[in-house]
Amino acid sequence: MKKQSPIIGLVFWILVSFLTLFPIYWLFVISVKPAVQLFSTPDVILSDPYWGNYAKVWGDRLLRSYMVNSLIISSGNAILCTVLGFFACYALSRFNMSGKESIFFWTITNRMAPPAVFLLPLFLLMTQVYAVGEWRLLDTRIGMILVYCTFNLPFAIWTLRPTVDGIPKELDEAAFVDGASPWKVITEVVFPLCRPGLAVTLILTWVFAWNEYLLAATLTNFNARTLTTGLSEYVTTTGTEWGIMATISVFTLIPALIVFGMVQRHIVAGLTFGAVKG
Amino acid sequence: MSFALKFGASALAMSVAATAAFADDAFWKQAAEPYQGVTLRGVTESSPPSLYIREVLAPQFEELTGIRVDVETTSWDQMFDKAIKDMEAGTGIYDMVYIEQDIIYSYLARDFLTDLTQLMEDNPDLVAPTYSEDNFTTFADYFKNEEGHLFGVPMEAFIKVYLYRKDLFEDPDIQAAFKEKTGRDLVPAATHEEYSEIAQFFTDWGKENDMELWGTTAQAHTGHVASWYEYVESVAPTFGVYNWGINADNNYAASVENGGTMNSEEAKEALTWWLSMRDIAPPESVQSTWTEVGTTFGAGRAAQGLVYGENAGWIAADETKSLVVGKVGVALPPLADGVMDEVESGEGYIGYYDGGAFGLPSTSKQKEAAALFLQYIGQNEVQPEWAVAAPRVTNTATYDDPKVQDMNEELGGYYDMLKDKGYLFAGAPAYPFHAQVRETVAPTFYSILTGDLSVSDGLDQMAAEAEAVLTDLGYRN
Amino acid sequence: MQSNRLGWILLAPTLVILFFFGVLPFIYVVYVSFHQWNPFAANPEMIFNGADNFRRIVFDAEFLNSVGVTVAFVFFAVLSELIVGYFLAQAFMKDFPGKAFFRTIHTLPLIMAPIIVGSVWKLMTTPSIGIIPHYLDEWFGITMNIGTSAPAAFATIVIMDVWHWTPLVTLTLIAALVSLPADPFEQAQIDGANSRQIFWHITLPMIMPAVVATVFIRLMDALRTVDEVWMLTGGGPGSATRFVGVHIFKEVFPKTNYGYGSTISVIVLYLTIVACWLLYVTMLAPRNTKED
Repeated sequence: MKKQSPIIGLVFWILVSFLTLFPIYWLFVISVKPAVQLFSTPDVILSDPYWGNYAKVWGDRLLRSYMVNSLIISSGNAILCTVLGFFACYALSRFNMSGKESIFFWTITNRMAPPAVFLLPLFLLMTQVYAVGEWRLLDTRIGMILVYCTFNLPFAIWTLRPTVDGIPKELDEAAFVDGASPWKVITEVVFPLCRPGLAVTLILTWVFAWNEYLLAATLTNFNARTLTTGLSEYVTTTGTEWGIMATISVFTLIPALIVFGMVQRHIVAGLTFGAVKG
Repeated sequence: MSFALKFGASALAMSVAATAAFADDAFWKQAAEPYQGVTLRGVTESSPPSLYIREVLAPQFEELTGIRVDVETTSWDQMFDKAIKDMEAGTGIYDMVYIEQDIIYSYLARDFLTDLTQLMEDNPDLVAPTYSEDNFTTFADYFKNEEGHLFGVPMEAFIKVYLYRKDLFEDPDIQAAFKEKTGRDLVPAATHEEYSEIAQFFTDWGKENDMELWGTTAQAHTGHVASWYEYVESVAPTFGVYNWGINADNNYAASVENGGTMNSEEAKEALTWWLSMRDIAPPESVQSTWTEVGTTFGAGRAAQGLVYGENAGWIAADETKSLVVGKVGVALPPLADGVMDEVESGEGYIGYYDGGAFGLPSTSKQKEAAALFLQYIGQNEVQPEWAVAAPRVTNTATYDDPKVQDMNEELGGYYDMLKDKGYLFAGAPAYPFHAQVRETVAPTFYSILTGDLSVSDGLDQMAAEAEAVLTDLGYRN
Repeated sequence: MQSNRLGWILLAPTLVILFFFGVLPFIYVVYVSFHQWNPFAANPEMIFNGADNFRRIVFDAEFLNSVGVTVAFVFFAVLSELIVGYFLAQAFMKDFPGKAFFRTIHTLPLIMAPIIVGSVWKLMTTPSIGIIPHYLDEWFGITMNIGTSAPAAFATIVIMDVWHWTPLVTLTLIAALVSLPADPFEQAQIDGANSRQIFWHITLPMIMPAVVATVFIRLMDALRTVDEVWMLTGGGPGSATRFVGVHIFKEVFPKTNYGYGSTISVIVLYLTIVACWLLYVTMLAPRNTKED
């Protein structure tokens, strides 16, 4: 590899980072501007921030409950998808089931469906079929966790497959020879070795679930509404409350940042997507 | 002044405490006796009047009756979709749905709603002494069927008015400059020609004086139905093209050759005029829905414009959002010759009278309890506070309340206009296929806005498309 | 080795969940797609109309236009993401101070919700008052108006998508580059190959699986894009950014055209699957089956 001056790299990255960060910075600027200033000439530099929006959002009991719902739904969904995806990948990788490659491809087709039209059947199923007596799956957190599986589970399987494939089969076989149960092999031998891939899958499915809007907007009413649906409440015929929206957005970024930060070091190691192993 | 949006938890607690105890507490307590432990659920747009229901009226009602009311507030698109899915599937999730004036006909055609008049007649014990259908303004008529039975309790009503900047119109320098240029006095326009002249004058004035000022607003988004609405509801009628140019008495014809007016000469003139206004409006107008038009005006970027009444309130009086507080006047929209005669004879109207009501879905499982809440929000007694928090009037008596009269001053006489001139405006025509026709012709309309189609060809095409979809839907044969 | 029964048991939860939340709704959509059904038609019932909807779709200019703009969008967006992502990934292969920090910054757009991305970009690009058009005009005298100019709106959406999703591509390509063996590169340099030859003949073939897998995921997601566009342009100006997802949304939501909307969705899903299947069997499947 050619040797380059580190300064050039640094300058390059500062420029790229500026471009990357600008829209996020602008989101923050909007959140600390009073509504009257939004439609006046924009200044790049922030002066005299106004924190009223933050007080309003923080003081809103509904938004706090949306935040809790979002956390539960996306965490529950990410864990479920990662674990089930791991099991599925183990099955696809280690067994000679007939048609398994077709099953593998079929799982991913679930992510391709245009979401708008699936809302009606999902609504009908969740109100009339997946219901017991007075209870129905619509507007429940568990319902949303399951619905999000339609796009996250395929993604999990897709990302984890190369990782699981990459763990040498000899390792499981050696463990079996030692008399370990299949459950033990899966959880204690293979699972730990897949940790980087699992971490990445977890974070990305988490982010997808955390950011989902359309399904949540239609399939929740009172009990399981998420933060992204809270955002749309501020787009009304009497004026869009950009400041409040931006503030909520900033709030949605914080947990995502924390989760992302926690697994940052695994990310590159885990996203192998079947890259050639040396 | 305080708008409903600002009602946080603390303000809410105060307003609940401050509410004067009504004389009829006893009635509510007794009537609600059988429904203890019931939770009512409603869905509505998250507009200030709805938020007032959620944050103030619902808790008050719960305090009084023990019936809990959960109000789901969501965006405009989502609200309709959710209410329709619920009523269509018969799930019974909602006990109250927001009915915008233009969708009532669709809901009535499908028997989605409970006949409130009938419900009250059948259950005299449920009728509150403070509730009467006679209390409502004529806006309630839009929510009645042919027999005059009411299907929704009005909760907001507005007219789309002509707003102008009083401070600019009264500025002596500007007046002099205008006089010199046009030979006329600078007063709010009565005709389209006058309006154009004023708009052009202010756009030029802004340019000459290096100000961020233009002569008119335009709700001219090139990808959102708001632009189509401004044209059919607020511009076309002032040129004498009513009911979207669709002739309900003549097999729902839209094209001139079949007896409609969607592509009539007047329609083409109206659209051409409006496009010429759009061209001298602030540049953001091509991305403006009703929301941004309000913001543009509130930011002081336009000297005049047609603005929804929902927004007139905060533009004229809310200092946290508007830079033109106290500088706003209201007037009737400019008209073409002869339109006023048609209006007076009952044939036409000069603009949009919009708003909404709370209805009770037929699929609700708690109709009686919901009827109590609907009456509660329809009482004269709760109206003035509500009108102050979220400018809207649905009951005749509200106009006379001192608080509302004070506010009328602040809003440049908006309430007076609603009261005295409201009859000149009209809601959307009584079609059960609003969204369907709108969505069909809208893409063609956007093509006219972008210049890909000429006004004449575009309107011809829209008329043909409207007829085609009406045939498809089975309304036209 | 082990009996296949265990394999099926491990796969079962996935299959069950996808059956109840993916397959059943899909069957319903297919069923509806053979009907004329609009709850606000004169006859609000579902009426079986055979293949009429499918026949109609062939001549539906609006739908075909939406397919066209979607394909163009996916092409430009995914291609740009690949190119930019590759160069950034290569840049990350070198050592420089604060590398981990910059990598973290570079991943930030990923965590933003599409609906938020759309909102921010809308505010940044509002004609005349958004910061981008404002300074383009002030500094360069360029007028940018996404409300009137179709190319401007289209380009804005592509750039927005590139901004939002390039980090995912960069990350996967870093992962691929990191795991490349060193030998072939050393050999090539000894043989005097230039950097372009090395890229085309060594690097690209070796990272191809990762590239294809990334393209695959981005392709699928880009084809379904709705939220950002909905917030930013609503599909305008005219129909310039009325992507398939937006078109379906407008057909099914406001227009309540459940029957025909379902037909469009079935066709779009079918086309997507076919496109992805071709990509899969030609580029990816051989590798997966080889390993058995």
